Amino acid sequence: MSAVSQTRLLGGLSLLVILLCSISLLIGPAGFSIADSLTALFSGTGDAISLVMQEIRLPRALLAIMVGISLGLSGAALQGYLRNPLAEPGLIGVSSSAALGAVITLQTGIAAQMMIILPFFGLLGAAIAVVLLLLLAGPRGGSLTLILAGIAISALAGALTSLVLNLSPNPFATSEIVFWMLGSLADRSFAHIWIALPFMALGWVLILSTARGLDALILGEDAAASLGINLGVLRWVLVAGVAACTGAATSVVGAIGFVGLVVPHILRPFVGARPSRLLPASALGGAALVLAADIAARLILPDRDLKLGVVMAIIGAPIFLHLIYRTRRAEL
Amino acid sequence: MKSPSTHPCLSLSDLSVYRGDCPVVDRVSTTIHAGELVGLIGPNGAGKTTLMRGALGLLPHLGHSSLTALRAGPRAKAVAWLPQNREIAWPVSVETLVMLGRVPHLTAGQTPQPHDRMAVARALAAMDLTGFEIRPATALSGGEQARVLMARALAQDCPLIMADEPVAGLDPRHQIATLSYLRDLTRQGKAALVSLHDLGLAARFCDRLILLDHGQKKADGKPETALTEAHLREVFGITAHITTSDQGLIFQALEVVT
Repeated sequence: MSAVSQTRLLGGLSLLVILLCSISLLIGPAGFSIADSLTALFSGTGDAISLVMQEIRLPRALLAIMVGISLGLSGAALQGYLRNPLAEPGLIGVSSSAALGAVITLQTGIAAQMMIILPFFGLLGAAIAVVLLLLLAGPRGGSLTLILAGIAISALAGALTSLVLNLSPNPFATSEIVFWMLGSLADRSFAHIWIALPFMALGWVLILSTARGLDALILGEDAAASLGINLGVLRWVLVAGVAACTGAATSVVGAIGFVGLVVPHILRPFVGARPSRLLPASALGGAALVLAADIAARLILPDRDLKLGVVMAIIGAPIFLHLIYRTRRAEL
Repeated sequence: MKSPSTHPCLSLSDLSVYRGDCPVVDRVSTTIHAGELVGLIGPNGAGKTTLMRGALGLLPHLGHSSLTALRAGPRAKAVAWLPQNREIAWPVSVETLVMLGRVPHLTAGQTPQPHDRMAVARALAAMDLTGFEIRPATALSGGEQARVLMARALAQDCPLIMADEPVAGLDPRHQIATLSYLRDLTRQGKAALVSLHDLGLAARFCDRLILLDHGQKKADGKPETALTEAHLREVFGITAHITTSDQGLIFQALEVVT
């Protein structure tokens, strides 16, 4: 288990993100040449190519990066805090609550009135989940009560989402809801980016600020507290950060699983298993994985609008199975 | 041997910790001075761990502890705490783990400095772990992990070390080495409070023993005054053979009193 130098790892991952981002910008049904695409990306002429590049492909690629950073960071932070490699961002119930908020706008049809309504209700759902978490887990609750509260909120939000589907007025609304829940980066605009970015950026800052506390938690809660880490503060900074990240991500692209679970798992050996170093690596790794999955979704079945969440699950599950197999072998 | 004028590293007055209505630690007062290696002894459930966690402010308590009067930052520089459950969550390297002891000495965002690395190297050498630096801590044996965690507490370089059963599960050589290293540290002006189940080691190495029974302090003094026949019978329910030698007090437990 050799830890690669942190600078080289982050540099390599950054290059990977840039490469995938370029590929993401260059593929699409319009089939422009590489040279045309690149000039159009930076030109202000307002012709068809530059509109496609600047209003369709660029926000799509940027949103993929933002969502990937948010989910990768959230997963790494939660795994570090709970000291459990199976933790993932959905665990605290915020993403399912955000999905519930979004689904309600689709069912009632108010989402069609203004583009901003769906993500706004998603964020509202996420905020309600955080308040419920605070009430259930208490200001001084331990990690176990936090997980249990998260599971309870997830279950409740899931049940209510099923109820919304059950009561949907017509088959079109039902299929719209189902397809939205599969998660997608298609047809997103800069408006989506401006809605999500403030929350995500806040979440990134909050999560990165927990780095030292997560390292100290390697020794357990008692020893970490004796090293001067305020566990109560750490817990809520972390929950707020993860909630801002996953709430915003779910509100703009729907539920995307496996990123927060698989990325920290893959990168952990490269950072010498240190939770603090895993945070920036997982952020970049998450961005790379979401970009790659979105590219795959567009390349595999270009005409069928393959959903990102589906591709991610198809990529993520086998990776996860492989990791389980590797872990089992390491335990022998 | 030790001068009585040395300053106190920990003072407790009427410290009580309640679990519900039941006092697990009942009005314990004591002072630990620089230069002392103090053993905390008592049967299972006597309140040894609870006393130490209460004194550290990890549990809500009544009464006064000089450590809980400090804020978390200064407290982490005043006392190093080695809990009983030897938790190592991730397969980090031994050096990374021991370096966590330097966390209280680093300002936000600061990377370890040369003197931090020296403190880590010293702690590793003291625990006979030189050469283990890059090995994953989770791949070591239980006893080796215990020594790594002890090294983490030593690297914290505080005036007081509080350790809960630091030698449980260690081989005899490392039990003796750990306690004699702690004794050497106290001779250099630090203080240590360690809970021990091995009364033989406690008698042999500690300057002072605090005997707890049902949360109450039954004795507090030199090993020969704490380990009396009456205390052993009433508190531990055992008889023992005790002699004095030029190596200090020799204690051997014999039989259960029925």
